[in-house]
Amino acid sequence: MDKNFEKLLKESLDEIRAEDKLTAQTKAYLAQQIVQKKRRPRPALRAAAAAACLLLLTTVSAGGAWVYLTPDAYISIDINPSLEFGINRFGRIVSVESFNDDGQDLAEQLDIRYMDYNDALEEFLSEEAVQAYLSDGAFMSVTVACSDDEKSSRILANVESCTAGHSNISCHSANIEEMDEAHSAGLSLGKYRAYLELKELDPSVTTDEIRDLSMREIRDLIDSYDAENNEQSDSSGNSASENPDSGGPKNQGYHHGTGHGRHEDEN
Amino acid sequence: MRSEEDANRAVDFYGDTVRRICMIHLKNMTDTEDIFQTVFLKYVLHTAPFDSPEHEKAWIIRVTVNACKDLLKSFFHTRTVPLDALTETSQEIPEDYSEVLEAVLALPEKYKDPIYLHYYEGYTAEEIGRILHKNTNTVYTLLTRARQMLKTRLKGMAEDG
Repeated sequence: MDKNFEKLLKESLDEIRAEDKLTAQTKAYLAQQIVQKKRRPRPALRAAAAAACLLLLTTVSAGGAWVYLTPDAYISIDINPSLEFGINRFGRIVSVESFNDDGQDLAEQLDIRYMDYNDALEEFLSEEAVQAYLSDGAFMSVTVACSDDEKSSRILANVESCTAGHSNISCHSANIEEMDEAHSAGLSLGKYRAYLELKELDPSVTTDEIRDLSMREIRDLIDSYDAENNEQSDSSGNSASENPDSGGPKNQGYHHGTGHGRHEDEN
Repeated sequence: MRSEEDANRAVDFYGDTVRRICMIHLKNMTDTEDIFQTVFLKYVLHTAPFDSPEHEKAWIIRVTVNACKDLLKSFFHTRTVPLDALTETSQEIPEDYSEVLEAVLALPEKYKDPIYLHYYEGYTAEEIGRILHKNTNTVYTLLTRARQMLKTRLKGMAEDG
């Protein structure tokens, strides 16, 4: 059977050929598939590209948000309410932190977030509660803290021009390390600096004792110690007339500080 | 991915082989067209180089056999009848040799490929085993049983004729 069968099977199968129409259709189909697949990026590549774009977008967005929302300078304002404004690198207020209950009340009334810090300060000073404090003889300390000295000076100059019309506002600058120390002690920067000044005159004073005092009260304490010291100096023969500028009973710089950046250093 | 030139060369070179395997397994032209597209698209997408023309041909045969099996097993195929099967535009078998070919086509599916590969393509049992992923002894058994069935059928045809 084998030889004859093989011959007959071969001859009959030889007759079977791919029809021209079939080969033409297949070639056209393959050409179309080749063009489409070349034009279309591979799914894996497309997914990878999409993931990379998403990652880039997320990184840029997160980075941008981080840059915008991170303060790099601070303005500490102390009356009795103690507040700290965080300023981003674009000069916008990005955080308002209060350090006591009065400060909390005031912070809730203020709508200065994302405002330029000059406008925010104007807004703050025009606030009814603040006006009431200032007209009531309160003392207000404004302290600028920034790691960049040049920027710190620029902000301080702007702050001083904002507060120029008020005789009982004093402006200073400090560095970020001082601010960190103040926060560790649970005080705002302006109050902490006043505390340090008071501590020099009375080493027994603690942060807890001055925490709830207003800036006016702390200033009065400092002034009273100054007056005491002057009296002692006078009685021990170091006459004030011999040294008329060596620390009088009133440190006028603190009370009328517009344009007096670093009064403590001057003393 | 292979070029269009490669694809056209493969269709020209192996088109008849694919067509014959389709004819053995399938009953209508639509399925044959599907298998053609499937086999040669796989060829276009298969970028690994072949060791020799024989290797390439064996690859085409294996892919065609598997594609035919998949199609026959598919849910849709087992439950539908194509239009061209109804309109009798199906495979054309040359009349002069139809007896032998009809006997092969009448074999159960599993015997068709070994018979075709051995008697038409001239592969040994060992080579057929490699192409169909079957043990060589299994191929021998399939060939022996297929021969017996063909003998019986062709004898019966001769007696009838």
